[in-house]
Amino acid sequence: MEVLLGITGKDFVLTASDATVARGIVVQKRGEDKSRALNKHNLMLFTGEAGDTTQFAEYIQCNTQLYRMRNGMDLSTKAVASYVRKELATSLRSRNPYTVNLLIGGVDPKTGTPSLYWLDYLSSSVKLNYAAHGYASYFCMSTMDRYWKEGLSLDEAVNLLKKCLEELKVRFIGNLPKFVVKVTDVNGIREIEI
Amino acid sequence: METTATLRFLDAPASIAAFKHAASEDDIEATASACVDMAPREFAHPTFDIPAINNPVEFLKHQTSVDAKNRIKIQHGTTTLAFKFNHGVIVAVDSRATGGSYIASQTVKKVIEINPYLLGTMAGGAADCSYWERELGRRCRIYELNNKERISVAAASKLLANMVYAYKGMGLSMGTMVTGWDKTGPQLYYVDSDGQRLKADLFSVGSGSTYAYGVLDAGYKPDLTPAEAIDLARRSIFYATYRDAYSGGFVSIYHVKEDGWEFISRTDVNDLYYQYAAEPKPSLAA
Amino acid sequence: MGGNIEHRFSPYTDNGGTTLAIAGEDFCVVAGDTRQSEGYLINARYSPKVYHLKNNAVLATGGMHADGVALVKRIGQNLDWYVHKHEKQMSAPALAQMLSTILYSKRFFPYYVWNTLGGLDENGKGCVFSYDPVGNFEKQHWSCSGSAGHLIQPFLDNQIGHKHQSNVEHHLLPLDQVLKIVKDAFNGATERDIYTGDFVEIFIITKDGVTVQKHDLKKD
Repeated sequence: MEVLLGITGKDFVLTASDATVARGIVVQKRGEDKSRALNKHNLMLFTGEAGDTTQFAEYIQCNTQLYRMRNGMDLSTKAVASYVRKELATSLRSRNPYTVNLLIGGVDPKTGTPSLYWLDYLSSSVKLNYAAHGYASYFCMSTMDRYWKEGLSLDEAVNLLKKCLEELKVRFIGNLPKFVVKVTDVNGIREIEI
Repeated sequence: METTATLRFLDAPASIAAFKHAASEDDIEATASACVDMAPREFAHPTFDIPAINNPVEFLKHQTSVDAKNRIKIQHGTTTLAFKFNHGVIVAVDSRATGGSYIASQTVKKVIEINPYLLGTMAGGAADCSYWERELGRRCRIYELNNKERISVAAASKLLANMVYAYKGMGLSMGTMVTGWDKTGPQLYYVDSDGQRLKADLFSVGSGSTYAYGVLDAGYKPDLTPAEAIDLARRSIFYATYRDAYSGGFVSIYHVKEDGWEFISRTDVNDLYYQYAAEPKPSLAA
Repeated sequence: MGGNIEHRFSPYTDNGGTTLAIAGEDFCVVAGDTRQSEGYLINARYSPKVYHLKNNAVLATGGMHADGVALVKRIGQNLDWYVHKHEKQMSAPALAQMLSTILYSKRFFPYYVWNTLGGLDENGKGCVFSYDPVGNFEKQHWSCSGSAGHLIQPFLDNQIGHKHQSNVEHHLLPLDQVLKIVKDAFNGATERDIYTGDFVEIFIITKDGVTVQKHDLKKD
């Protein structure tokens, strides 16, 4: 029932993740942030097998931060996505692979050019203008196909995200009352209320 | 050797090692030697005998399943709960242990006193919970001796989560709440054998958890008095034992306060039944 | 060529039998029958599964006989090493925790054994510890496990713990009364459980040491 959404705009990436943690038929927590900041301009959202998700995300987070300590500069969004894809590919061929699906969104800190990568646990990695994981893709991809265009302003992107979340409310059987919405731009990563 | 911060991993050619593979035999050697280099020996994982067969995980899964000829019935079934409120944390548990349909014990201690300011609860495999929380207690003590201060609840719960995550998929069964009071105030975490670790204000774990939630959610608010909170916790466990056949025995309650935890009460659910039956039901008028 | 043959690694069997332990004020009684079976076949009429350990604790093992033997051997070695290291015998409560850790060290390949441990604690009081195969344990006043465990346990709950008796004084029973209850329990279990019978061996632990009694049970 987990949902991740990502939309690129003119100079930012807008992301949303549902805040529900469920196990079987029981909701264990409302208000979980299913994302980790890898560095100042790159955010990774994750869903999948309980335990694997945070364990993998924090492992990636630690190594991207270690990269900065050693090299004095951050990995780009593309470099992070390539690194994560390789980690997933290696893991997939090990005895117990990580079952984690990801969205990685970020901007170039100088130009503000946004990019968004969609990765799954089978280590597919695709660069997309907008993306979704989970059941949301059945409902929201067509909405984003219809409304997304090059160079969206933040207001426009937020409105598009609202259309997506509204559609989930109307048509999706799952109950997802809260989403954590974040903007990544040249100023860094911030959470916003919509 | 002088005590320098262990930043040696910065020089190491390999990057920060993932915990993930520690349990697969191929990597046990590698991980074990890495542990010697990377971390003090006291933090190395304990070792376990594994049958010398192709698929040890399947072997154990079969031996504990219903169709095994000589089944190992691991004791299961429980209701436990814990919640934060303005006066600390309340922890309440039942005391029944079942092996299949047989009631193996009605007097199990499902609150594990890790140390005078940390509590853990027991749901799932009883041996798994008591072994790993004992091991957690040992590590917390070593932390204290090394750092001259108590470990935070966040760090303690993460130690536990990382330990059991190394054995993910091997058949451990543990659903526990780790709670205590540290520098940042009262803290409550949920940790299970999947490696899941959550922080929230209210949890219930075990086969009777849905019943406990039903009572607890309806009566919970952060500004309960300690007496109200204790009563709510006791009723929640009681109604869980009433509906869930795998829960029963006694309701034990603990209160976590600034100066450590305090044992509150242990009540026979049979006595509670007659006590609650004599009371009028609360008003539903708005 | 024929079809595929599935080979499953199956190292366990249940050799049946019943064990119990009861703690008194200054003594502890541990008992077990001596029948060893496999399915409907009785392998042996006198194959003891209750072991007097060197530190004067008594361990009753039920379940698989071979795993019980292996476990007791390992415990014996650990007890010897403890004496060499510390120049004293291990206390029964320390042994209780050690047994749990030993059992858990085979969490992924368990000993197929249900243990009951009896002894005297540091204050000379009787103590009983019961275990599941992977090392979960609890200190109790009395406990019964094995093939007739579910028959005897409620009997002990009533006779030793005075459970569901109103207006009775709760007190620990004297040794002679405990021994009567143990014999009744095993004679009763022999009547209703095919895996219990032949002989019952009763170990009595006091500060002066351990004595053993052997009594006949029905052999059918």
